[in-house]
Amino acid sequence: MVASASTRRTSEAPRAPRAARIRRIGERQEALAGFALVAVPMALFLILNIGSILYAMFISVWRWNVRTGPVEFKGLDNYTRVLNDPIFQAAVGNTLYYTAVWVPLTMVIGLFLAIIVNQKIRGQTFFRGAFYFPAIASSAAITTLWIFIVSPYGLFNEARGALGFNPLFSAMGFDANQDWLGDYHTALNSVIVLNAWTTSGTFMLFYLASLQAIPHEVYEAAAIDGAGAWSTFRQITFPLLRPGHFFVATVGVIGGLQLFDQSFIAGGPDGNPANSLMTMVLYLYNRAFKRVSFGEAAAVGVILFVVIFGATLLQRWFFEGRHKEASA
Amino acid sequence: MTRAMSPADTVTSLPPRAAGDPAEPVGDKTVHWRRRLAYALMIGYALLMFVPFAWTVITSLKTLPDSERLTLIPDPLTFAPWQYIFTNLQPNIIRLFLNSFVIAIAVTISNVVLGSLAGYAFARLRFPLRNVLFLIVLATLMIPDQLRMLPIYLIVNALGLRTGVLQYGGVILVLAISATSVFLLRQYFLTIPKDLEEAARIDGAGHFRTFLRVMLPLASPAIAAVTILQFQGTWNSFFWPVVLIRDKDYWTLPIGLTLFRLTGGMSNDWPPLMATVVIATIPILVLYLFFQRYFVEGVAASGVKG
Amino acid sequence: MRKRFLSMTFAAAFIAAACTGGGASNAPTGGTGATTGTGSTAGTGETQAPQFDPSTISGDVTLGQWESSPAEGTALKAALDAFAVKYPNIKVTQTTIAGDYRAQMVNKFGAADVPDLFYVNAEYAPEWMSQGFLLPLDDYINNQGFDTAPFFPDYLSIFQQDGVTYGLPKDGNTIAMAVNTDLVPTPPTTLDELVQVATSLKGKSGLKAPMCLNASLDRGLGFIYANGGSLLTDDGTASAIDTDASKAAVQSYMDLFKNGLGQTNTQLGDGWCGEALGKGDVAIVFEGGWLKGAMDAFPDIKWQFAEMPTGSSGQKVTINYTAAYGIGQDSKNKDQAWVLMQYLTGPEGMAKWTEGGIAVPSRSDVPVPEGFDVIVKGADYAKPGSGFMPNYPDVLKAFGDAFLKQVTDKTYDAGPVVTATKAAIDSALSSQ
Repeated sequence: MVASASTRRTSEAPRAPRAARIRRIGERQEALAGFALVAVPMALFLILNIGSILYAMFISVWRWNVRTGPVEFKGLDNYTRVLNDPIFQAAVGNTLYYTAVWVPLTMVIGLFLAIIVNQKIRGQTFFRGAFYFPAIASSAAITTLWIFIVSPYGLFNEARGALGFNPLFSAMGFDANQDWLGDYHTALNSVIVLNAWTTSGTFMLFYLASLQAIPHEVYEAAAIDGAGAWSTFRQITFPLLRPGHFFVATVGVIGGLQLFDQSFIAGGPDGNPANSLMTMVLYLYNRAFKRVSFGEAAAVGVILFVVIFGATLLQRWFFEGRHKEASA
Repeated sequence: MTRAMSPADTVTSLPPRAAGDPAEPVGDKTVHWRRRLAYALMIGYALLMFVPFAWTVITSLKTLPDSERLTLIPDPLTFAPWQYIFTNLQPNIIRLFLNSFVIAIAVTISNVVLGSLAGYAFARLRFPLRNVLFLIVLATLMIPDQLRMLPIYLIVNALGLRTGVLQYGGVILVLAISATSVFLLRQYFLTIPKDLEEAARIDGAGHFRTFLRVMLPLASPAIAAVTILQFQGTWNSFFWPVVLIRDKDYWTLPIGLTLFRLTGGMSNDWPPLMATVVIATIPILVLYLFFQRYFVEGVAASGVKG
Repeated sequence: MRKRFLSMTFAAAFIAAACTGGGASNAPTGGTGATTGTGSTAGTGETQAPQFDPSTISGDVTLGQWESSPAEGTALKAALDAFAVKYPNIKVTQTTIAGDYRAQMVNKFGAADVPDLFYVNAEYAPEWMSQGFLLPLDDYINNQGFDTAPFFPDYLSIFQQDGVTYGLPKDGNTIAMAVNTDLVPTPPTTLDELVQVATSLKGKSGLKAPMCLNASLDRGLGFIYANGGSLLTDDGTASAIDTDASKAAVQSYMDLFKNGLGQTNTQLGDGWCGEALGKGDVAIVFEGGWLKGAMDAFPDIKWQFAEMPTGSSGQKVTINYTAAYGIGQDSKNKDQAWVLMQYLTGPEGMAKWTEGGIAVPSRSDVPVPEGFDVIVKGADYAKPGSGFMPNYPDVLKAFGDAFLKQVTDKTYDAGPVVTATKAAIDSALSSQ
């Protein structure tokens, strides 16, 4: 913008000095108005976001007293302590596992739902509304409800018993009143199912936006070529959705790496049972407010930021670097 | 997942209402049969989405022993759980509701005001550093909230937003403006034809008047989407309230719901918990029933989930 | 696009640095001495606290506490009512801190928004003292002539660091055995007898298991001590959990689960082991004085306390728990808080509180409430159940998580538990 404005100025100035001066005044007024309008929001963005990153980096190299601030410069000690802590390692493992399972699972469900809702069907609005419905409730409400549903005598166990599925479950080693969130083997998977259920509607909407960007003619051409539904999907729809995949995957990975609410609500600040719900972010909270170590907590935040940043770049490379035809 | 990043790569404006693409060739009887099966499955899946919520309402009218039975009709039917959450909880549910409401309204207004100011400026005014600043706005979507937890905690405390009703202030400040709001409004302003603005300019209106009188009214669909998204997102928010609100009296509904269950108050007393879940969900449910379109379009356009 | 994006982000970051620099330095820095003399200097020579007669003090005071049962709330209310009669000029406002008490309180310390007087659990008292959250009480104690001698030294010493007193124990508890007297008429006195009794109860109709046990050190430590194991060396400077004796002791506690003699409260479907005894799910549990108040809810079950059985060490041993009242460095009404504190931890207030049947006195000059003889007897030979080392909660968590995994997986191997616990102990000791 700056460049184009100045180009115009130099090219027009000699011809009409008066007009140029008026334009310059207009430009200055416009710039002032622009700054005035963005001043407050930008101040908030800069202080609360960019400033916070730097502040967190600063905290992370100190032994930091909760009441009084920095006490002793620790260099990278906080980082090494955190990285060597078995609970942090468990947290990283859980977080990566969660992200690696939850994101693809939810993408598949979301894409499937989007394709269904994108058909010319009766009640399209109803189905779209229904599929998105679980996403509207708060994490606290939906997780509390989930805790109830998968509790030993909850709806899930009762219903599978009534429907006669129990032999199947006992073959997998679960008894009739399995405590899904209370057993450390199944706790994290239960959270994955919960979040796949609630977020698939959101992913559906993302995919829907992408699907609708695909021009009709493409399908018409495919129909003329006599392509079946599956091959149309595989050869046309799916590849053309690449920007959509990238967006959904990026949003999903960023969200997945920040899993907090459901863990905290179901397992408390310790990620019970047996650290199975401990995530990187919950660990950060735990370090800060239980273990009273702000320095280490800040170090976790910086590590998390690096991981998220890295994951995003990696996805960019995966979805774009290898497929030049995809547009940015 | 509480926040998301910019959808700059995919969506450039509020998409048109779903049009529906005929992707399947229509034809013989097997297609008919398959279609029927598909409908049945879809209806089944749609119902599956509602079952848990219906179960919540049913459970809130049951007694504790009855709540662990697979029955649709409460036996006996009781309103004791509802009475409990209105009278026995400390603080009671009305207080929590009001706390959530005040914070959600304040954050929504702030996002609409600041978001449309910045969105308009980024879309229509030329000023130095405009693109840099806008990129910074988008970049904030990649910063995990948790990285910001301690800095914000310390900043909010240093600002004195520590006690009593000021604790609202901390949460409102953090959520006051989101990149999503700015982005969504900017994209919408970009789609408004320039002629309208220029007409106003010729009539002698300044930038602010043009913005207020001409552009803002035209942006009402985007403002509606931002309103819905921000209200829902803030109403449902968990992380910042749990970090920044310490006094029970100022807890929001999600915090109350969680902490009453984890320690004291309700533990695993399902009926009152489910009654609280109902209360915590109803405002959003009502909004959803009436403004589903804005939910759907806002989410699709912004890549945000509350 | 990407390169520009990055460089711009960082450019902006530096601008922001200038903005937040102010915010950062406004955050509490160098708070030492801001409110009162803190940390190492306080309490040694300074006499800042005013000389006053407690009865002349008036004003408000807030009391922050956890509440683990309704009976506990009732007991506290009785004590506060008595306080209101004696000190009518001080108005007490009670706030139960809901959620994770420790995390919630730390959040409050950081925000300088603390109650005037509050509970401090022994478990994390060492950290809170060394972080400077708590007001040194020595000035008040000295100026007031408040006699701390009657406190049991084991309890009081947990709340002292480098000769400074930061809290006064509000009560104490020891872990004892509690048996259903219909099923266990004569309580076992040794762990071998306990195994015999429990084995004979196996499969008894109505019982889900003979015993309810915690898969955690909060009870397990008593068993480990009984069998001659230990977490730390005698001087407390190094881990001793991986000695053969300790390993064997952990394994013998685990074997109680392995042989079907005990289950966790979760396995039994109960909120805690006291509830399991009350509902008749088990015949034997290991709890503290709080069990008595809780069992009032189950009048049909006849039960009694008995001393912890002795193990292979041959010595009588159990573990004790305590919590203190503390005043925050940032508490607003310190004088009023002290008045309330000296009452609640003094002979009169503590008598009122312990009559509630939740805990036993932490002072020798308060009569033992009825039914708590066994709990008090245990105090003679009890070792601290928490607060005896820095960062003990980390150790507790490491042991509990590893132990629970063994129990859940039915592998019952003490090895991984010992390994995880040792790592946690080493890290806890080195972080000081």
